[in-house]
Amino acid sequence: MVSFGRRYGIRTTDPALIDRLVSVLPPEVKPGRPGNVACLYSLLAAGTERRGKVRRVNLLYGDEVPLTRSKNLEVVMEVLESDLQLQIAEWARGRVFVHAGVVGLGGRAILVPGSSQSGKTTLVRALVDAGATFYSDEYAVLDLRGRVHPYRKHLSVRDGRGGARKIHPEALGGPVEAKPLPVGLVVATSYRAGATWRPRRQSPGRAVMELLAHTVSARRKPERALTTLRLATSGALVLKGVRGDAEAMVDSLLSKAAAHEPSAA
Amino acid sequence: MKPTETLMPSARTTELVVEELPGEILVYDLKRHRAHCLNRTSALVWRHCDGRTPVSEVAEVLEDEYEVPADAEIVWLALDRLRKAKLLDDGTELPAEEISHSRREMVQKLAVVGGLSILLPVVASIRSPLAAQAGSSTTNAQCNQCIGVGLPCSDRPGRICVARTGKQAGTCRCQ
Repeated sequence: MVSFGRRYGIRTTDPALIDRLVSVLPPEVKPGRPGNVACLYSLLAAGTERRGKVRRVNLLYGDEVPLTRSKNLEVVMEVLESDLQLQIAEWARGRVFVHAGVVGLGGRAILVPGSSQSGKTTLVRALVDAGATFYSDEYAVLDLRGRVHPYRKHLSVRDGRGGARKIHPEALGGPVEAKPLPVGLVVATSYRAGATWRPRRQSPGRAVMELLAHTVSARRKPERALTTLRLATSGALVLKGVRGDAEAMVDSLLSKAAAHEPSAA
Repeated sequence: MKPTETLMPSARTTELVVEELPGEILVYDLKRHRAHCLNRTSALVWRHCDGRTPVSEVAEVLEDEYEVPADAEIVWLALDRLRKAKLLDDGTELPAEEISHSRREMVQKLAVVGGLSILLPVVASIRSPLAAQAGSSTTNAQCNQCIGVGLPCSDRPGRICVARTGKQAGTCRCQ
């Protein structure tokens, strides 16, 4: 298979698992011709057969490196999905992956960069409920002109009891866009119960730093990352601050995004 | 020799990626994997770190640029911040007396003339993330509190945060 100009391979000892493997592939993965691959995943399945008292486990390797071993196939599939996604994000040709939620509004993108547990998904859902179009819950995929492309992975929504369930983007109800957009607004925020959204506007340099802190290939290709992020934020309004409930700040965000006149890039 | 007659140190030039922005400079340190954002004052001072220009001359350039009174204290303060960010030549030493004097002077001046705060040199720094840190993940400690179920545990490679079932239902672990 091929993703963003790089080839990956997956093989398994159990042909019955192929459909399952296909179902965990990240977006933008296409079938490719056999040949040399950048990374070959090997899943040695435990199977259902039991031999005496021997416990059989599923083993996952990335090239020759053991990635995980577990009796629970779900765990192995999650590790595979997450590792492959990270490989693609780090090595993508012609793209810079920033860990961020993205929606589109009025022909421009709103980016919500943040680490896990910062409440990106909640804010993305609130923006979609308010009329924005869904682009991504996981990565802002920037091309080298700084435009954002959609990354339609399922959303991981926490249930408040520590669990998480997966929702397909279409299930949100809003349209799912495919057109690349320039960045109009970047919202650097994290959730704090009871906090009021009083953001501070960031300078162009600080704006790049906010995104760089969540850029997967920042260490591998810093020059490309800096240039791409500078182009992406050159016409954008960048706001930073803690937030309380997502619903309480959505109107303010949407009106700021609509009122912002992008400067010439 | 008066401190204002001292020459500027030399800026570090190797293993850096520099990106110029209007009024700011972004610098990526390839050796330490740190990114720095230099505001207008520190950017201007850094550009003049050539080992030849007198400190007093850079203070005059600042004065012309901002159209407010600026003196050598500002330049020393900026140099101190640039040195801490490792953006000056290796081994650069700044006169400790001038640096602490500059800090005291600046605090006193800012208390009297608030408008001078625009002159303050700032070097904002971050550590560049590892690929795994920039992706979705949780930690073992978070997972033990059932935060991040379904995500990889960044401090337990190859493990994922899983909600337990049966007698241990309601608890989670990286497995």
